[in-house]
Amino acid sequence: MIKRLFGTKNGEDGGNGRTPSYQPTHLVDVDNVTKAYHTPAGDFIALDGLTLKVDPGEFVAVVGKSGSGKSTLINMITGIDRPTSGGVYIGETAVHELKEGPMAEWRGRNVGVIFQFFQLLPMLSCVENIMLPMDFCHVYDPDEREERALHLLELVDMSDQAYKLPSELSGGQQQRVAIARALANDPSILAADEPTGNLDSKTAVSIYDLFEELVDKGKTILMVTHDNDLASRVTRAITLADGKIVHEVKR
Amino acid sequence: MIRPRWRKVLRDLWGNKLRTTLVVLSIAIRVFAVGMIVGTQILLREDLSRVYGTTNPAHAFLSISPFDEEAIEIVRNVEGVAEADGRAEHTIPLQKEGDELGEIRLTVPADFADWRLQTVASISGKWPPDEQEILMERASVPYVNAAVGEMITVEDVDGRLRQLTIVGVAHDLFTQPVQFTNVPNGYITRDTAEWLGYGDKLSRMPLRIEGEDVTEEEIRAVIDRVKLKLEKAGYAYYGDWIPEPGEHPANEAVQPLLAILGILGLLSLFASAFLVINIINGLLAQHTTQIGIMKAIGARSSQVMGLYMASVLIFGLLSLLIAVPLGALAAYGLADFIAGFINFDLNGVRLIPQVVLLQTAVAILVPVLAALVPVLRGTAITVHQALSEQGLGAGHFGSSLIDRAMNWLTAVALRLSRPTRISLRNTIRRKARLLLTLITLTLGGAIFIGVLTVHESLLKTLDDALAYFAYDIDVEFKQAHRLEEIQRQVLAVPGVAAAESWIGASAVRLRPDGEEGDGFYLIGAPADTAVINPTLLDGRWLEPGDSNTIVLNSLVLKDEPDIQVGDVIMLEVDGREGEWRVVGLVQGVMTGGIGYVNQPYLARLLRFVDKADSVEIVAATTNPAAQRALEIRLRQHLEEAGMAVDSTGLISDVRGTIEYQFGLVVTLLAVMAVLVALVGGLGLTGTMSINVLERTREIGVMRAVGASDTAVQRIVMVEGALVGVISWFFAVLLAIPISRYLSNVVGNELLRSSLSYTFSFKGAFIWLVAVIIIGALASFWPAWNASRLSVRETLAYE
Ligand SMILES: Nc1ncnc2c1ncn2[C@@H]1O[C@H](COP(=O)(O)OP(=O)(O)OP(=O)(O)O)[C@@H](O)[C@H]1O
Ligand SMILES: [Mg+2]
Repeated sequence: MIKRLFGTKNGEDGGNGRTPSYQPTHLVDVDNVTKAYHTPAGDFIALDGLTLKVDPGEFVAVVGKSGSGKSTLINMITGIDRPTSGGVYIGETAVHELKEGPMAEWRGRNVGVIFQFFQLLPMLSCVENIMLPMDFCHVYDPDEREERALHLLELVDMSDQAYKLPSELSGGQQQRVAIARALANDPSILAADEPTGNLDSKTAVSIYDLFEELVDKGKTILMVTHDNDLASRVTRAITLADGKIVHEVKR
Repeated sequence: MIRPRWRKVLRDLWGNKLRTTLVVLSIAIRVFAVGMIVGTQILLREDLSRVYGTTNPAHAFLSISPFDEEAIEIVRNVEGVAEADGRAEHTIPLQKEGDELGEIRLTVPADFADWRLQTVASISGKWPPDEQEILMERASVPYVNAAVGEMITVEDVDGRLRQLTIVGVAHDLFTQPVQFTNVPNGYITRDTAEWLGYGDKLSRMPLRIEGEDVTEEEIRAVIDRVKLKLEKAGYAYYGDWIPEPGEHPANEAVQPLLAILGILGLLSLFASAFLVINIINGLLAQHTTQIGIMKAIGARSSQVMGLYMASVLIFGLLSLLIAVPLGALAAYGLADFIAGFINFDLNGVRLIPQVVLLQTAVAILVPVLAALVPVLRGTAITVHQALSEQGLGAGHFGSSLIDRAMNWLTAVALRLSRPTRISLRNTIRRKARLLLTLITLTLGGAIFIGVLTVHESLLKTLDDALAYFAYDIDVEFKQAHRLEEIQRQVLAVPGVAAAESWIGASAVRLRPDGEEGDGFYLIGAPADTAVINPTLLDGRWLEPGDSNTIVLNSLVLKDEPDIQVGDVIMLEVDGREGEWRVVGLVQGVMTGGIGYVNQPYLARLLRFVDKADSVEIVAATTNPAAQRALEIRLRQHLEEAGMAVDSTGLISDVRGTIEYQFGLVVTLLAVMAVLVALVGGLGLTGTMSINVLERTREIGVMRAVGASDTAVQRIVMVEGALVGVISWFFAVLLAIPISRYLSNVVGNELLRSSLSYTFSFKGAFIWLVAVIIIGALASFWPAWNASRLSVRETLAYE
């Protein structure tokens, strides 16, 4: 099953920002990253020389108070936002050097992004939402895409709702579909910013179980969460405060 | 199988039917307007020249002493003449309903069976008519009070009543429209003309010369030879008239129409571009989050752009589908309406390739180009920006000075209720959107007010022109005669109520730089003239003691714009140079440039003291037929008295021509104003509705926090009306240059001068009412729609 789902990617690795001199030792390498926001009241340092390395198969939880820089960190890794200084390397790719266009395609192929508010396109059914990244990134044969999308829905236990519109689903169900969409192009990394923030604790646990399953299947997951119970179940939990890692627990 | 991303495009369009309908209709109405306007233009031009070609039009008309076939034959043999024909034309009294006396214009062809130039076609009934029978021009039939088979009563040369039986209907492309002249046209044989006392001879000779696309010089050269031949054969040659070669006479009146249509076409093209920018901007603002998500899951900017450009393309295609056939129909309707006045038939409804091409460009190219900027901007947004802007729209309120001022104004100064305050703040919240909506609304309003202003200016010009002439008949002598003699002779003619003698001269201005000006006409009138009523624009009118003072009309200033009241100018009057002081400026009234000077002074200058060379007659009757009879009596009487008459003219003829040309333009402008208001109104309704539609989610929030449905609707409608009022203000400002420009174009085409510009306050008021209603109603619909959704639905609304 896993082989079938994750072993048939036929596109080449997207992204042109490879730095030949850089020898990857980690899957994710956030190297001395500083992020400053320019505000009318002066620069605000959201990340302050932060360094974080993540190896394949890790399940990392990012915790910390509101405003500590968690979302900013995740956005650095997904390429949604850019560091002011420092480097972000994922595999062989220097993410911070990618231009907007190649960045989008690289992200589409290599990072699955999961949002707090699910963010499924309302006019597309679940299956179509999952097929969309494959379509954009030209991954998989067009004829195989629907079949693959259905398999992913099966994986997140949503195959019976495949042809429903997002508005006909509960929040937890929408988040499952969003996770399936994040997996569409078989990325090695999933990045989730408070994926359970909008769900009740029971549903949150089930989403969390799904993440653990995916980690078991070889995915690397970075997840921002406020839920300390959940954070205690991961392989590694880092705590941010004022843009710095102030605490780290590894299991 | 359709790819999911294209399914998204289609479902966006299909799923949001209200918005798609509004967008498509808004674009369609513009594309329709362009099709209608340009289509009308092309239909008129093409079909008029086609019909014109079939009538074998003459290149020149010669006025000759009475002649018959013999003279025609002589002229046909002159080198360079392709064809010659003969006719006589008599305008004679016609008895109308009751005892009212009108006129009918009778055309007598040399031979009905062999009509060669400026041909008239039989439409129904008999051809040719027999003696005491008449064919009526088709447009004239309703104006004679008798149907085919019935009789009309006319007066013959001696004033006896004669009856003519209408035996058929003909079509003549060259008549002046009876709708405006009120003089019907009929066709009789030479025998019938003789029976009416006009003799069977002909007086006018239509002439066609050899060659295609001949110039006026070529025509003139042939005419000179014809004239020699005719004079050698013993005919008197009175004069000739060369119409614009290859052009129907109605072109004079049609040109300004086409010019107006062209400008309106261009303006509506411009307005449609803004409309599309507006719509696409709105669409993208709504889709910010979705754009962010698509990019987050791997879509490149170019791919997202492709999706939205595809939507634009589909909008365009759908609106084409509606606008092309409707535009063609409307173009036909409008062209047919105008053709009715010119009295010709269109070649039927048809799609004109150029028009369809233009419409396609407007529907596809303009939207795509217009959408390019917003799409580029909207899709270049980074994922970070897109996703952090989710929620209640992209606008930011509260930061800028304007916002704070508005806050204070609404809350403190005006003490408005909270919902109204929300309306006001919303209005300026999205400034770019507001600006676009305002531009679109403003353009629509400015065009409407502009058209109505030209309409009113035309009417004012016409009024001025008609009020100017207080005399009815102008008599020009070959020489100057003593004033008392002129008075005594003309007053002796029965039917003359009053007379005033004038001196005419030509004047050329010697400009300060030594150049000669274009020249204008000098009238030496008594300072207390009673036969003209010029409208004084500046300075004063002539006074009895005036010497080298002059009052100019505004048309002189067209060529000599530097002259001001109070200036001293150098004029060359009949070869004599001298200084003149400009003391006044009067409104020019379609007569060309005129300078008015004190008669005694001009008489001394020209060395005919106490003499005059023209006399302006006020008739006792206002009836045109009676005035025409008076004109003939005057001529006869003066010739008998040994005062050779150079020419006479009826002001009512001038009036008829003026009214015809004005009537056509004025009527069309009125129609255009209604159409502009309709098209603009509908387009704007669409735009405004789309704006409100975008705020469905916001409306949901307001309701969620406790606003009642009526409160929400009031907020949105007040906002719509407010935008309308703001746009109205700018529309009025913009209407001034637009209407000035339009007036100049129309004035130049129609009168070779500018119009008496009168800003249409009526138009401005109508637009104010319209725009408030449009604003409020256009907002009401989507607001009502939003208030029917549950709060949950509006919050989920995309
Ligand atoms: N676009 C921006 N401009 C200015 N400051 C910003 C911007 N985005 C974030 N910040 C600031 O950066 C800091 C970190 O923000 P971030 O969103 O990473 O916090 P967070 O840890 O995710 O908080 P939360 O748990 O509330 O989501 C915050 O203090 C925030 O105010
Ligand atoms: Mg956050």
